[in-house]
Parts: sequence; C-alpha cells; structure tokens
Amino acid sequence: MYSTMNAPWATVPPPPGTNGQYGYQQNLNPPAYHPVQVRQGFNPSPLHYNPMVQQQHLQPHPPPPPAEAPAPRKKIDWPQPVRNYVQRSFEPQNLLVDVPRAEMEVKLKATITSATDNNTLETIDWDNLPLPQQMIRLERAQAALSWQQESVNLHMGGNGQINNREVNLKKRKSQEIAGDEESKSTPPWRATNNRNALEDRITFDKRQQPFHDDAHKGTSKSQKNLEKRQKRFDGGYKSTYKPSPSPEPTSGPVVGTCQVLEKQYFRLTSAPNPSQVRPEPILRQTLDLLKKKWKKEGNYGYICDQFKSMRQDLTVQRIKNEFTVTVYEIHARIALEKGDLGEYNQCQTQLRALYAQKLGGNPVEFKAYRILYFIHTSNRTALNDVLADLTTAEKEEKAIKHALDVRSALALGNYHRFFRLYLDTPNMGAYLMDMFVVRERLAALSNICKAYKPDVKLRFITEELGFESDGDAAQFICDHNGQHLLEEKEDELRFISGKAGQIFEAAKTQAFRKVDIKGQI
Amino acid sequence: MDPIFEGFKKAYEEGNGYDLSMTLSPVDPEDEPDRLYKFFRSTNFSQVKKDFQYRILYDSATPFKLPAEEGNGWVEVYLAYWKAVGDILNAENAPKSNAKASWTKVYDSWKEMTNALIRGYTNCGFEAWTVPCLYVAGKYMRIFAIKADEATGASTGSANNFQDDFNPEAEKNEKLEDAARQLNRIFQICLSDRAPLEESRKWGIYNIINLLFKTYFKLNSISLSKNILKAIQAYRGDMPTLDAFPKAHQVTFKYYVGVIYFLEENYEESEKHLTEAWQMCHKDAIRNKELILTYLIPCHLLTTHTLPTLALLSPYPRLQELFLPLSLCIKKGDLSGFDAALVAGEDEFVKRRIYLTLERGRDIALRNLLRKVFIAGGFEEAKDANTPPVRRTRIPVAEFGAAISLGSNETMDSDEVECLLANMIYKNLMKGYIARERGIVVLSKGGAFPGTGV
Repeated sequence: MYSTMNAPWATVPPPPGTNGQYGYQQNLNPPAYHPVQVRQGFNPSPLHYNPMVQQQHLQPHPPPPPAEAPAPRKKIDWPQPVRNYVQRSFEPQNLLVDVPRAEMEVKLKATITSATDNNTLETIDWDNLPLPQQMIRLERAQAALSWQQESVNLHMGGNGQINNREVNLKKRKSQEIAGDEESKSTPPWRATNNRNALEDRITFDKRQQPFHDDAHKGTSKSQKNLEKRQKRFDGGYKSTYKPSPSPEPTSGPVVGTCQVLEKQYFRLTSAPNPSQVRPEPILRQTLDLLKKKWKKEGNYGYICDQFKSMRQDLTVQRIKNEFTVTVYEIHARIALEKGDLGEYNQCQTQLRALYAQKLGGNPVEFKAYRILYFIHTSNRTALNDVLADLTTAEKEEKAIKHALDVRSALALGNYHRFFRLYLDTPNMGAYLMDMFVVRERLAALSNICKAYKPDVKLRFITEELGFESDGDAAQFICDHNGQHLLEEKEDELRFISGKAGQIFEAAKTQAFRKVDIKGQI
Repeated sequence: MDPIFEGFKKAYEEGNGYDLSMTLSPVDPEDEPDRLYKFFRSTNFSQVKKDFQYRILYDSATPFKLPAEEGNGWVEVYLAYWKAVGDILNAENAPKSNAKASWTKVYDSWKEMTNALIRGYTNCGFEAWTVPCLYVAGKYMRIFAIKADEATGASTGSANNFQDDFNPEAEKNEKLEDAARQLNRIFQICLSDRAPLEESRKWGIYNIINLLFKTYFKLNSISLSKNILKAIQAYRGDMPTLDAFPKAHQVTFKYYVGVIYFLEENYEESEKHLTEAWQMCHKDAIRNKELILTYLIPCHLLTTHTLPTLALLSPYPRLQELFLPLSLCIKKGDLSGFDAALVAGEDEFVKRRIYLTLERGRDIALRNLLRKVFIAGGFEEAKDANTPPVRRTRIPVAEFGAAISLGSNETMDSDEVECLLANMIYKNLMKGYIARERGIVVLSKGGAFPGTGV
C-alpha cells in the first residue's frame, strides 16, 4: 500500500531545497521489522533508542537495531522531556498509517541530533513538538501543495489498474495533504485556543526544515490538520478511514485552501471541506475575473452562481472586511440590473449587518435602495423602522433624500412629482423603481380618468407619467385594453379620459395586490 | 417560608386564584419587603424538597388534603420557584457586590418554574381556578427575558456553518423570542382545555393573549400577532365571547387589536376596536386612555376627516403637544405650516408609528384650503330672483395654484397643481372635473366639497 501511494511522488523530483534524506525515495523497500522493547516504566531505557549524535548523514535505510548502535557517541544525559518525546513517538496509537516506522525513526533521530547540535535540547518544548511522523506528513503536505498547484490532475494519471478504493484513497490523500482529513471537520474538542500554540510550532518548524515554504498558508493548515489527527489518536478516538457522513459542529471558522478561481455554487449540507473553500487572496482574484467576465459576456446565470459561491466562501471563513462589503455590493447591483429581487434582497440584508460594523462601502446608496425596496413591497412596518433609524445627516444625502421624496410623493398620490423623480434617480435606484412604476402609472391614469374631461392630449400623458415617447404611452394604454380611448383630433392623438370608465381603476387594484418578496430557490 | 405556604393554604381553601398567584410573585409585596430573602434563606438545597413536601402534603395542620399527584406538582413548582428566587436575589444584589448580574440565569430558572406549572396543568391536574399563577409566570417571564437580552447585549453569533450568508440578527432578542414560545405554550394549554366551562382554563386566555401581544410588539413582529387572532377565530365556537371576560382583559385586547389593524392601514376596523376600548376604559386609567387616543386620533382623522377638540385633549398634555399644531394647520388649510409641524414632530410620530398616517392629513389641509378659495370666489349672478345664489363654479387652476403657493417661496408648477387637484377629485374630497384646455376646474354645483357644507 505504501508503494502505490508513494509511487506518483517518486516520479516527481522533490521540491527545491529539500534535503534528500527526508525524501521519499527510500521507501521502496518494505520497512524492516525490528523488535523494540515497549517501555514499561518511566526509566530511560537504553535499549530503546540511541541517538547517533555525530552523524550528520543519516542512512537511507532504517536505523539498525539498538544493539548495533555505532560506537562513537557522546554521552549525553537526555532530559526527561526528550525521553517522553521519544516514547510518544513510538507509542502504537501514535503511529500513523501512512508514515512507515522506519521513516519516523529517521526523522526522530534527525530531530534530536540537530537539537543537540544547536544546543536546544533544553529549550525546545518537547511536550508540544510534533512527533516525527507528523513532521513527515507536514513535509509531504508542502511538497504536495506546490505540486498540486502545478497540475491538479496529475495524481490521477496512469492509475488504470488501481481499484476504486485506492483511487479514492489517493484522491483523499492529496486533498488531505492539502489540508483535509477523513472527517471533514474539526472535532468538537479542538479548541480554537490551540491555534496559538500552533503558531509557535510553525515558526519553530521553519528552523527545523532547511527548505522554506512558499505556501505559508499551506503550512499552517496542514500543520493544523496534522495536529488534529494527532490529537485524535491521543484521545483514543477510533476513526475508521472513511469519510464521516455526519457533520460535526465547528468551533472556529474554516480556513480554505482551494486555489481554483471559479467554483460552482452548492448549498451546504454539512461542514465545509477546506480544500474546496477559497482563501481571501484567491477570492480577490476571482472578483476581478468575474468583473471582466460580466462586462464581456453578461451571462447572469453564471455570474450569479459564482457570486453565491464567493459569498459562501466568505461566510464559512468568517471573513468580514471591506472586501466582503465589495462583493456583496457588486452582486447586489448586478442583481438589481437584472431584476433579480430575491438575490438582491439577500445581499441587502447582509450589507446592512456589515455596514453596522463600519466596514466602509456605500451605506448611503444602499439605504436608499432599501427605502425604495420597501416602497415596492408596501412593507409599512419596515418603512416605519427605516424612517426611525435615519439620522438628520443621512436625510440630506442625495440618494436618501430622493428615496424619501419618492415615498412622500406616493403617499399623497402626487404622480407628477413621482415621475419627475423617477426620471432622475441616482445610482441604480431606477431599476428598483421599475418594479413598481407600472402600478403607479395605472394609479395615475385612474386619477386622470376621473378628474379630466373630456380628454387630454396624449403628450400630456407621456410627460406626466414619465414615458420616453408618445409611442410608449400609447403602447401602455393599449396594453391595458384602452386602445379605443385613443383618438385623433386636430392632428394629434388624444386620450379620451372621459370614456375610460373603470378600466384603469380595475387594472390598478389588480396591480396593487400584495407584493411578495420574490421567492428564492 | 411559612408566609408563603400559609398563603398557599389559605388560597387553596378559598379557591382564590389571585391570592395563590401572589405566593409565586418574584417581587416582594409592599408589606413584606424581605419576603423573598427570608424565603430563600429559610432552607437550603438539600433540605428544600423535604421541607416543601412536608408543608404541602404532609402537614397535619392543613385543613384540606391535596391529592398526591397535585401536591407533588405544586412541590415541583415551589422548588423551581425557590431556585428562581435565589437567582433573582443574586442578580438584584449583584450591583452592590460588584458581581455580574446574570439575568439570563434568572430567566432560565423562571422558565423552569413556568415549565413546572405547565406540567402541573397537563399532568398533575391543577385546577382551573389556579390559572392566575400562569399570569404571574408569563408576565415576569417576559420581563426577565427583556432584562436578560439587555444584559447580553449583542454578542457575536456562534458558529453556524450551513448558511451561505451571515445571520445578522441571530441573538439580539433571543430570550424574548424564547419567552414568546413559552407564552405560546401556555396559550395552547388554555385554548385546548376540554373541561366544562365553569372549570375551564379558557378563562385565562385573554390575559395570556395580551401578554403575547406585548411580546410580539416588542419583537416588532406584527404578523405573529395576526396568527393569534386567527387562532381565536378558529376556536370561537368553543369559547365564551369576549365580553364575558374581565373588563381589564377586554380593554387591553381591543387596544392591541386596534393597533394591529392601524398598522395595516385598515382604519375602519381599527377605529371600531379603539373606540370600544376607549369607551370601556376605566376613567382613572389616564395612561391607558392616552395610549388609546394616540392611535384613535390619527385613525379618526383619516376616516372622518375630523380633528380632536380642545376639550378632548385637555387632560393629556403630551397628546396636546403631539397633535395640536397639526390640527390647527389642517383647520386653517395652512400647507406650509402643516409641513413644518409634521417635520417638527417627526421623531415622536415615527416612534409611535403614526407618521405615515398623519402625513395623509395633508389632504385634508389641502381640501380646506381649496374650499376657502372656492368660497372666496364669491357668488355668481343669480339666474333669477328665486333661486339662492350659487357660488362660482368655474375656477381657474391658477387661483388654486396661487393658494397652494401661499406661504412657500416657490410657485408650484401648473401641472403639479393639476395633479393635486386630480387627486382631490379622485379621493372624493372635491367634486368636479378639470378642463385642461381652458385651464379651469369645473366644480359640481351641488356640493363641491362633500361633507363640509359647501
């Protein structure tokens, strides 16, 4: 199993700077079996392990049995923490499935050797140091990360004969190396506080490893996941090697590792998989890409989907900053442009919370949109609330003033003012007003039909009701079965208001029936 | 602890629910300022159950015998009450001892007591006359919930991974929402009681409903209140009619229903209920009357276009401040004055949610103004000596325009004037039509301004 697992890596040269001795080539031989006396007490067991202090070169093969320890070695009194560390490394429950014992021993030796050389035996926090098998995992993770960045599909190459399970294993492996586990979530007892200890460990690790990692985020994530796994074994948690179906509550935000810019949206049914969540820098690039695509292609279905997945990534990682605000704002504006009120409303709700945290953005613009939206849905309660919330300064802002004027014009039925305002709406409010312009036109027409006799010029209708042309006005009237009301008199079209009867009144009542928030899929 | 159990026994003997509920009060009665403290200190955690059991079930001095199940039920209730009292004392004394007051704990333990009470009714056969205990439980649950929410403030939301967006208001009113759910449970047990009417818990229902209304109003969820109304409608066959209930319950209920309709702009229904509440209200309940009037006046304004008289408003200085300036401007037809008064009182109006309604008062002001123009136009020549003189009915739009522009610096656009006139006609505040070509308004000869005598 090890050989098939490691085979792909064997074909890839180790990352630059890797010290060959830690490399993977050695494991083409099955590990040698040698008996090790299980420690029964706390006494340091001389049989257990002999550090070969003076050796800088470690042999590629597993160290010889203790009895054959090479002669030259300094007599060092190993401090108790070191001994404990060694003991822990060999404990059966700490042995990792994918780290052969031999490799682990090599690493252990190296760790202790260099500590001794650097005279850090006393200063290193052995109790919290990751075990050799974890370090090995970590290195693999880093290698895999940089490798994965180059070619995502490589790991699937040439594995025709490998059965499904192993393929899955392999897939999971590479995913896992990139920072995931059999179970896709942090176990509940993993307190967030542990992360501070992690940070210390990370810096320490850098000293250990001669190569430095470009993917700093990768390090911390894989480190965290190694740590998770370690703790799992520590606590006697029996985890079988298969994806865990039930979601576990996370105590902290997920940190994503996905590097792919675009991602389809899927509703979350369980805790998110970090390898599919994009970190913030990637999301920023995604945003730029999406902006360009929107301008070029204008494919709303695609853009909406992409934005939703971006929002999801931001939420699960609990990223709340100006970037988040920007994403929501842009999505909201695009949704408005396309008349997608459901999506717009979602963004608006989030923006409200984000603005409350003073993260910047355009709160005035969106407050004005809110007012217009509530006018559209005739949501009196919410309108009242918004009015109560406004500060005097805000009321002077152009966009908000406009929205408030719209509201009061409509409240009093002043269609004249309303349509003047409509034709001069700041920002993208006009798209919102489009939503209720039809019903207001019907209301205005009803007024006109009742008040004006015998007729009025069509031009009057056009101007009063904010149509772009006489043609549009005529079209509107015809749309509502009013064609017979248009007559030509003295070379111009007139609208016979006197004969309209209840046509527009009925249409208006129909239009004003309760508006609901556009349903969300 | 004896005063409490004495009270319990006495109330039980007499079958007096209200007195019984007094024993469960979390507030010291006026004549016994230390009652809670003494009650709590009179026993300790290990002894408390035995003590209560003795008092309720086994004390031979008790003149009546409680059935075991019921007695145990009451033991549970008093146990929970005792714990809650402990928490209350802690929370009340916290400022003195500089500890953090944990109203959340108080709320939780009070909730426990309420649960014990509810179980008493469903499982242990508490009798219906004890229902006032539920009133006390519910009332203070609401109060404690509000305190607990204030104390927690806005803490950051806990991890909730399966949403796409953050949940902005997850925990702002958590306890109050929980209280609402508990009250709903109480509502259910009152509503679904199948016992015969004399022994039914249904008699408690309006009190609970009123508590629910108060809670929903505080949570600003009027729609939930409507659900209750629907529920009552559905059950009305089984329940005694509203006027059979105590007056206090009726007035409060009608008030809330009136406000609910008001907020939905159903002014006719609203007026009906508010007027009934107003008439039934106890003459000394000034604050309640004031509240009713706060909504009744705007309502009346819109339905009957009439304004409150000075006599009506005289006992209520706050209302005078609110409504008088507006009323005067409306009477005079002073548009700019009206606008100014509306802006001046805006905050107060918005707070009470009556701003949008009062805004419509402008129509009345405008109508009055136009009426003045009409009257100022004088009379036309009489056709013959016998018919009474008729007022001039053909009025240039410009005259109206001039009137509207009185008091403001800008002249209104003639089209806009026409628009306003069209509105008047449409709303039946004015009868006639606009002849745009000739730039005049032709008013109806018989009653150009309905309802105003002209």
